[in-house]
Amino acid sequence: MDRRAVYKTAWIGGLLLAPQLLLVFTFFYWPTGAALFWAFTLERPWGGGNEFAGLDNFRMVFSDTAYWGAVWRSMVFALGSTALAMGLALLFALFCDRQLRGYKAYQTMLIWPYAVAAPAAGVAFRFLFAPEAGVFAALNKIHPDFWNPSVNGFHAMILIVVAYSWKYLAYNFIFFLAALQSIPRALIEASAMDGSGPLRRMWDIQLPLLAPTMFFLLVINITDSFVDSFGIIDLTTHGGPSKATTLMVYKIYFDGFKGLDYSGAAAQSIVLMLLVMALTFVQFRFIERRVHYR
Amino acid sequence: MIERTPVLNFVTHAVLLVGLAIAFVPMWLVFVAATLSLQEINTPPISLLPGSHLWENLAEAWARADLGVKLTNSLIMSVAVAAGKIALASITAFALVFFRFPGRMAAFWLIFITLMLPLEVRIVPTYAVAANVFSPYQTILDVTGFSWLWQQLTGTELALEWNLLNSYTGLILPLVATATGTFLYRQFFLTVPEELMEAAKMDGAGPLRFFREILMPLSITNMAALFTIMFIYAWNQYLWPLLITTDRTHRGTAVMALRQLIPMSGDSTGGGVPDWNVAMAGCLIVVAPALLVVALMQRFFVRGLIASDK
Amino acid sequence: MNRFLLTGATALALLCSGAAQAQQRIKIELWQGLTGDLGSAVEEVCQRFNDSQKEFEISCPTQGSYDSAVQNAIAAFRAKKQPTIVQVFDAGTLDLMLSEAFVPARKLMEENGYKIDWTNYFPGIANYYANSKGELYSFPFNSSSALFYWNKDAFAKIGKTEAPKTWQEVEAFARALKSAGYECPMAINYDTWTLLEQFSAIHGEPIATKDNGYGGLDAELVINKTKFVDYIKFMKKGLDEGLFKIKLPETGANIVQAFASGECQMTMTSVADHGTVGKTAKPEMKWSVAMLPVMEGTKRLNSLVGGASLWVLNGKSKDEYRAAAAFLNFIAKPESELFWSTRTGYIPVTKTGFQHLKEQGFYDKPQYKGREIALESLTASEVTPVSRGIRLGGFIQIRKEMRDALSDIFAGKVSVEDGINAAVERSNAVLRRFEKTYAGKQLL
Repeated sequence: MDRRAVYKTAWIGGLLLAPQLLLVFTFFYWPTGAALFWAFTLERPWGGGNEFAGLDNFRMVFSDTAYWGAVWRSMVFALGSTALAMGLALLFALFCDRQLRGYKAYQTMLIWPYAVAAPAAGVAFRFLFAPEAGVFAALNKIHPDFWNPSVNGFHAMILIVVAYSWKYLAYNFIFFLAALQSIPRALIEASAMDGSGPLRRMWDIQLPLLAPTMFFLLVINITDSFVDSFGIIDLTTHGGPSKATTLMVYKIYFDGFKGLDYSGAAAQSIVLMLLVMALTFVQFRFIERRVHYR
Repeated sequence: MIERTPVLNFVTHAVLLVGLAIAFVPMWLVFVAATLSLQEINTPPISLLPGSHLWENLAEAWARADLGVKLTNSLIMSVAVAAGKIALASITAFALVFFRFPGRMAAFWLIFITLMLPLEVRIVPTYAVAANVFSPYQTILDVTGFSWLWQQLTGTELALEWNLLNSYTGLILPLVATATGTFLYRQFFLTVPEELMEAAKMDGAGPLRFFREILMPLSITNMAALFTIMFIYAWNQYLWPLLITTDRTHRGTAVMALRQLIPMSGDSTGGGVPDWNVAMAGCLIVVAPALLVVALMQRFFVRGLIASDK
Repeated sequence: MNRFLLTGATALALLCSGAAQAQQRIKIELWQGLTGDLGSAVEEVCQRFNDSQKEFEISCPTQGSYDSAVQNAIAAFRAKKQPTIVQVFDAGTLDLMLSEAFVPARKLMEENGYKIDWTNYFPGIANYYANSKGELYSFPFNSSSALFYWNKDAFAKIGKTEAPKTWQEVEAFARALKSAGYECPMAINYDTWTLLEQFSAIHGEPIATKDNGYGGLDAELVINKTKFVDYIKFMKKGLDEGLFKIKLPETGANIVQAFASGECQMTMTSVADHGTVGKTAKPEMKWSVAMLPVMEGTKRLNSLVGGASLWVLNGKSKDEYRAAAAFLNFIAKPESELFWSTRTGYIPVTKTGFQHLKEQGFYDKPQYKGREIALESLTASEVTPVSRGIRLGGFIQIRKEMRDALSDIFAGKVSVEDGINAAVERSNAVLRRFEKTYAGKQLL
């Protein structure tokens, strides 16, 4: 973030920052602080008394094998969905940017899923992946249990990764496309005159120039996959079969929101936040160093 | 394109067709579901071809969820949230990238970390804040003894209250803070050549003029993309509007109405007729404005790009 | 001219007074957890109340789900912006009982001058929402119980005209159906409400010590030592032989859809689904309902109520409580119960309501015929300590643990004993945690 040319008038900078910081404090940190206080107590949901519990809530969380299962599955989910959503988005964006005939139509259709509200998408994927309806019914006729996410935890995980990535694929695609289009045509044309083919140009020119966008998307995708996966799980698998798709955030939601164990959920939230922060820090520390901003 | 590469062109089309299928099939299913009768939709396997009940399902969904009002509310909320986020994100990122002052990195991280505080985790206390936005400050004043001091000096009790429940402000304000937008703008500002700024400085332009006259026009693309994304984000909000609006007839949003149409599955103790056909017809209506915005903005930001490239 | 002016003024005055009166209506809110068609049904009930009198006005916004209704009410209660009434589902009962956040039903009605004959509520329903002395805390509202659904057409093919009374018969019938070419003789799922709770109540088996928790917060689950284990073994065997099939929304159709479409010939689910089956089944399909089967040689006890009840929250004004009492009195009227049961599949909760439905010939109409069996099932015996209800803390989490265990067991990942034992162990941890959270609190 260091640049040579900077303004030194600190008070203007501070003033510019103030509105956002005020909002963030009021609607994020203050409430979070209140929730985190519960992590060290046994909070009664309707209020009216809480017992100080020290680190008991954390002890309970860490000694729970089901919790570690959720941590592991969250990692798998984060990697799987980020790889899928970013990989495919990049592929489609690069090819779309070749601007062959009809590319506008492809482009439009690929962006559209982003607009579809989660309830609609969740339901659509439930229909789509139902083992006894839709496309899989035929395959299951030939080979029973070829595909059955309601019994097979691995299948269920694939289902939520795909359903979740569907929307983020479009999200990433928008960014890649915008970034690709901001690369001056002249640069590509010049390179083409030098005799390098389309694939060569993607590799040599477009991909390096996409690095800042890629970094941005990587951070957003990984972070969001930890905190934003709730909706799709609740609409498709409900964390099942058994606990096969119970990710950390779903467990927090279930324990706190449904099970009314506010303190247990608060302790889990702290762990989740620390984990995601650590991951983000690692990304900034080790990946952004390799990113060259134009 | 510049040269002829038939094989690669074929591959390109093939890949993009796959992409098309990925994007299209789930939406097609929603559409098909919206055209079936209640009986057809509850008889698996679900047909993959549309039925003949689209209009009646649409009409039913529109009437049942009173979508006219709800769509208007969603529109107001989404435009305000998107505009607010762009304004906040740009000035915050501007301060972060182009100024040097103590606590700058801390501020960046403070904003960035909000990405990791999902609403589900802090929903109960956030509601309390929305019921009185000044409550955190009141608490601080109370704890620090300032309230007491005030009372001693003026003889009046210091009680701040600003209730956001059931208001547009309540729908909008808590959603306006934006880590993603700030981050995006930061990424963009980092790519702005330093020469530009030096030139501006030499012309005697102060920071605000530099921001307004150089950075803003340059970031039209980002703005368009960000507006689209944030509009959709706000449009699809569910948990927060549901919590903060109890006056559903006047302040409800479209997605709230949609979830009202969708019977939530649960234990059989809940029961309920799963009339997915009407729910999916509602989906079509509710998704349509969002799709429209995406389609329109897409053209806009492509044009903006070409303009800024010259 | 003068006369015209006069009439004009009178009309204006009338209009004004009308407007003033409308403004003076005392407004209260009921936060409900139902959505879709049932959510609309609740709103219609509220509308009927508003139309029935001029003094009060209730609005009944849905909160999206049962869980959200409770969660949002808690958030609002903590911010002192709570609704007057909130709908809380069966498993959330104990949390509210211990909350001190509500006005007990009896107190509310007495203070507002209503004389309610509390014995008029069916004991099987009332006890679920009452303290251990039988005093009602909340108002039973949408109530249901589980029924056995069977396809008459398919049964005719195997020469049967009646529903199976025992599980042994179910097995025999399922086998016959299978040989007659039916792919899915019976649809089941992992729903603990039928498999565990209803089964245990009907068979007189405890779910937890201390009278299923009514006797104190230190109760422990005992379902790894009851007939429940044999029952799950029985179900697992049926699944392995293909007599039972698991039907979930995730597989394409839930049990109700699978039964209504004619794919599966038997199932068990709430009476609230009776209307769904009627509306979605092919018109020519003949089907009926019966009480849940029992294991051979068991004396049947009453089944448990499901659904939700209405709680009146603390901290509202006298006028608001007056409005709440009027509303709650209104919905317990026989005509309201008739409307509610006609509009939805839920059962009447009072004896007079049931009587009224019978007198109106409700149960003789083909589309509602059979729903009285839910009440027969709920009143099959005197209420005993094990069929009174379930009063366990963190019951939502316990249901989830059991559900996960059942899905592991039915998928063959663990043995029946191991699965249930593990779930019991985890559930007891939940119970202990709950007990600690409410340390020093006594069950009333």
